[in-house]
Amino acid sequence: MPMLKMQNVSKIYRTGLVETRALREFSLEVEAGEFVTITGPSGSGKTTFLNVSGLLDAFEEGTYTLDGLDVSRLSDREMSRVRNEKIGFIFQGFNLLPDLDVFDNIDVPLRYRRLPARERKERIEKAVAMVGLSSRLRHLPAQLSGGQQQRVAIARVLAGDPRLILADEPTGNLDSAMAREIMEILEQVNEAGTTIVMVTHNPEHAARAHRQLHIADGRLFDFERIAPFPLNKPQTAAALVAG
Amino acid sequence: MLLYNVRLAWKSVQRYPVLSALILLGIALGVGVSTTFITAYHVLARDPVPGKSDSLYYVRMNSWGRGDSPFRQDPPPLITYRDALELLKSRIPVRSTATFSSQATIFPRDGVRPFRDGVRLVTADFFPMFAVPFRYGGPWSREADARPESVAVISSALNDRLFGGANSVGRAIRLEGHDLRVVGVLGPWRPRVRAFGLMGNPLRAPEPVFIPLQLAGPMSFQPSEMQMNWRTPQPGEEALPYASQLMVNEALFLGFWAELPDAGKVREYKSFIDAYVSEQKKLGRFPNPPQNRVTSLLDLMEEERVVPPQTKALAAISLLFLVVSALNLIGLFLGKFLARASNVGVRRALGASRWTIFVQHLVECELMGLAGGFLGVLLSVAGLAILNRVYGDGPDGVAFFQLDVPMVFAAVALSLLAGTIAGLYPAWRICAVPPARHLKSQ
Repeated sequence: MPMLKMQNVSKIYRTGLVETRALREFSLEVEAGEFVTITGPSGSGKTTFLNVSGLLDAFEEGTYTLDGLDVSRLSDREMSRVRNEKIGFIFQGFNLLPDLDVFDNIDVPLRYRRLPARERKERIEKAVAMVGLSSRLRHLPAQLSGGQQQRVAIARVLAGDPRLILADEPTGNLDSAMAREIMEILEQVNEAGTTIVMVTHNPEHAARAHRQLHIADGRLFDFERIAPFPLNKPQTAAALVAG
Repeated sequence: MLLYNVRLAWKSVQRYPVLSALILLGIALGVGVSTTFITAYHVLARDPVPGKSDSLYYVRMNSWGRGDSPFRQDPPPLITYRDALELLKSRIPVRSTATFSSQATIFPRDGVRPFRDGVRLVTADFFPMFAVPFRYGGPWSREADARPESVAVISSALNDRLFGGANSVGRAIRLEGHDLRVVGVLGPWRPRVRAFGLMGNPLRAPEPVFIPLQLAGPMSFQPSEMQMNWRTPQPGEEALPYASQLMVNEALFLGFWAELPDAGKVREYKSFIDAYVSEQKKLGRFPNPPQNRVTSLLDLMEEERVVPPQTKALAAISLLFLVVSALNLIGLFLGKFLARASNVGVRRALGASRWTIFVQHLVECELMGLAGGFLGVLLSVAGLAILNRVYGDGPDGVAFFQLDVPMVFAAVALSLLAGTIAGLYPAWRICAVPPARHLKSQ
């Protein structure tokens, strides 16, 4: 069963009388445990694809199945629950909450899942150890470097143990050394079984995935399998955190 | 989750201190003004004798003389001394009393200068009827009314002044040249509305001395509040002793109250009054059509407009002021919330539903409302202190307008209302923001 399956999905932005087709009959299947990168010029629909995939934006036509669940008819509450339990987001701008320290930032999705305090604490400490920031738990985002902030964002994802990670240019704001570090962490997470779909402008990073897709004008018109994709791995980031 | 939302609200206050202070001030002003004027209304309009008002009835009879103006078609608000004594004989009411206010010179002991103060003439039933509290002793007996005995009940303030606050029961006070034995000293007592004195100034403090009604004649007490005389004195009447003048005179100066426990007793008593008036007509009195009235205390308060219409209007306007204040805060809350729309986008991406975001922001509004309400209550205490300067404290130093427990609860409710009015739309707007729109801009 594919982790993500889109068939003929269309997304249209309307501004007054102007219609912009951000996604056109977009069809894609991503297997569980796969690491897929997406490249494409600015305005091609990469972020729209991620937003639709992450249930952050609605689509007009087509069908979308996430981990076997048809998400096109879910209520806001159900979609929020799916986002919280199955999807992890990593953004180019880190998107940490500036008023909250590292611990509390990672705690946010766990609070929405209503996990008990002890379990939340355990998950946070393990995830922070995984990204090497155990000593920074009470630091505010503004007190961390860009690379550290992105690692906090990754820890936030890992603590939630999602089935799918959607990363939107996660290395875009980092220097090459930090970007390499982040890519290595993502690869470890993927090796532990979590599916990753990553948008990137960096051809080197794109080439490190199992499969590289290309979007232009809202269409997925070119893709290439780069490396053999092993399907007999554990399926979640929890395995990585636990290991 | 509530505690978490409270924590987030506190962080929001820390992030936008000036904006938060403005919002607090706005709510505090609204709650302060409305609580002040609603308290004023509440104090005046509330039941003056809780638990007893339903059974207290005021008696009026049309005892005007013949040929009077159409103005006198309604019964006068007071009755005569002789009618009062007759009505007091009835055993239909559980209790009854006739009362009027007078002035007397009080002569303290030990060379202290005499002073004039109010005296209320009542019967023994007055005290239990109007739930008057006692610190020492109690009311005099019905037998003391009938004789009448030279006894008195004094206020605690007068007891402090004359006896240094000691138990003065059994001691004597000198009033208008007569020695009266103190049988009771009142506890702190400052009814906001003097139910027994609605026909005078109902907001005045009670008199400090109470003596038996039937001492009015022997001690020549004259009414100091409302009095109406329609009958011209007959030749020779001026020469009669004062007690005899009271009996033959048609002067109207007494309020009459009966305690009637149920509707059956009220009907029975009304029939008794009608029969009394018919009998008096046969004797040549009460020439006008009978307009006898037995009116409940609460109805009489309404009839006499004890709560001035201006007070009602001010309470309504102050509520409107609170609503306007809260409406003006919508813009501030909206600005505050939309400034962090990107944070909301992140929270939505991390699994917060629209409802969760809505509740988070509404909790912030309500907390601001409550904090502003707390300040508002302090403002209201100051506002009531100003009103008390106008009305003055009671003889026992009890402030006239005070915030009581129901009004504190009302202030909390008003604070929550202000928070809701100010925060509902901004909270709805921020939760309706599409999460994807602000994620890139973070």
